Amino acid sequence: MPRAPAREKTTRSQPSSEAVLSIAPAPTLAETAPLAVAPAHITARGVSVDFAHDGMVQRVLSGIDIDVPRGSFVSLIGPSGCGKSTLLKVMAGLLTPSEGDVTVAGLAPGEAAKRHMIGLVFQEATLLPWKTALENAAFLLTVGGRATPKDVALDKANEMLRLVKLEGAARKLPSQLSGGMRQRVAIARALALDPEVLLMDEPFGALDAITREEMSRGLLDIWERTGKTIVLVTHSIDEAVFLSRDVHVMATGPARIIETLPIELPAHRDEDTFNLPAFGEAEAHLRRLLIQGHAGERA
Amino acid sequence: MTAIDQATLRPRAVARGALLRRVRKAASDILPPLALLLAVLAGWELAIRLLKVSSFVLPAPSAIAGALIAKQGMLLQAARVTAVEIAWGFVLSAVVGVGVALAIVRFERFGRALYPLVVLFQTVPKVALAPIFILWFGYDLAPKVVLIVVIAFFPVAIDMMHGLQSVEPGFIALMRSVGAKRGEILRRVQIPYSLPHLMAGLKVAVTLSVIGAIVGEFAGASEGLGYVIQLSSTQLDTALVFAALVAVSVLGLAFYYALEFAERLLVPWAPKYDPLHRS
Repeated sequence: MPRAPAREKTTRSQPSSEAVLSIAPAPTLAETAPLAVAPAHITARGVSVDFAHDGMVQRVLSGIDIDVPRGSFVSLIGPSGCGKSTLLKVMAGLLTPSEGDVTVAGLAPGEAAKRHMIGLVFQEATLLPWKTALENAAFLLTVGGRATPKDVALDKANEMLRLVKLEGAARKLPSQLSGGMRQRVAIARALALDPEVLLMDEPFGALDAITREEMSRGLLDIWERTGKTIVLVTHSIDEAVFLSRDVHVMATGPARIIETLPIELPAHRDEDTFNLPAFGEAEAHLRRLLIQGHAGERA
Repeated sequence: MTAIDQATLRPRAVARGALLRRVRKAASDILPPLALLLAVLAGWELAIRLLKVSSFVLPAPSAIAGALIAKQGMLLQAARVTAVEIAWGFVLSAVVGVGVALAIVRFERFGRALYPLVVLFQTVPKVALAPIFILWFGYDLAPKVVLIVVIAFFPVAIDMMHGLQSVEPGFIALMRSVGAKRGEILRRVQIPYSLPHLMAGLKVAVTLSVIGAIVGEFAGASEGLGYVIQLSSTQLDTALVFAALVAVSVLGLAFYYALEFAERLLVPWAPKYDPLHRS
């Protein structure tokens, strides 16, 4: 990894207290010509993952190539068991691929995560039950080799709770929050690291439909204001089309990406976006692909 | 019902209503078991008198109460001795149990060696070790404390271990990903997570500690409630045996509720995190 030392220098020279809002590159820029302007923020080349089950080796991901442009919002969509969560885990550095390479901002994912360049959100909020929303949002900042002093971490967490519109609940315990609020704390916790990349594994999967839509709009708002690169794993076609710039459709048997669909919708999206013809077309197309992928599995 | 109605109708009565409600709640918790206990005691008293059961076979509740009052000085002194044994034994059980759990979870390889041995040791009838402990540690406090620890550390260790391992794996992965080391994860997440489980283990341990102390005194002692029970039963003073039993129960209850109180102070968030009622 010849690039590692240079990278370390640039990240260190950035003051950690810098506001997230100020490092926002225009998300539309990356969309127009992703590869020409800058190298992809996240790349995967020939990534395969094998799991061993009772001596049997099962290939859960096979030959994945993917480029996520800087500042983009992409979704991974597919039936359950298609390996979309596994791919996200590989990108997060939680899982080492059996074959192939993954880089996040030119680094190995594990290294990028240690440098607070990756924020993670799971389906479950996984908050600490004895800590308030604010302390939970600050927690990861106070952990590990890059731990910041507690007061700095709390300031940062406060800022992030404002961003997810939860400043009023800062002193509440997780048990006093609704599912949607808990998940917003989890998002604030991820953002508090000031990561370059936000990886989300079905973050709204456990929420009711109305809360889901509200959270989706909130996430879009956060994305527009912070310019983070976001990768979202979802099984909701609506959610994928509404939020993403690119949708990667995955299929099972073997788990792979069968198509990458650019979503041709206006950069700014709101409730009216759902009524645009392009929305319906993209949705119909994705649905066809998913059904095909499903049929292929049974064949 | 009236307390609630008043509170809702007249705002000024809210505080008084709340207090009333609380008293009613406490009363509704205590009254049914108390009534049942009194009924059982009354039935017992009646049966003894009607059937003319000899007092050294089974004394009437009134005779037991009489013994409690007549021998109160001696019983209090014996209870003090037993209480000290229970307290030491319980505290050391907690320390040993927590230590074993931490060692097993923190040092995986050592844990894999230790855990089966701990379980194996659990299958030894510990009560049978009492005479050996008398042989090794003498007649005083030490053998009782050792016996209690041997009996009572196991639930503490098992519950604590379970608690340490109950953290969502996703959260541990999250901490690892930002560079947290195992020790830090253990200290800042796993140990706090385990506290409600630990409290459950401690509650079992405290009742086992009472048993351990009495058994230890049976095996060889010159004071304590177990000694009183043994001595008075050889003298066919069955009323005193039961009086001592009452004292043992009161002691056990006191320890148990002290622990419940400590739990409310230490882990106020725990009931909300009951695995059965997680939302």
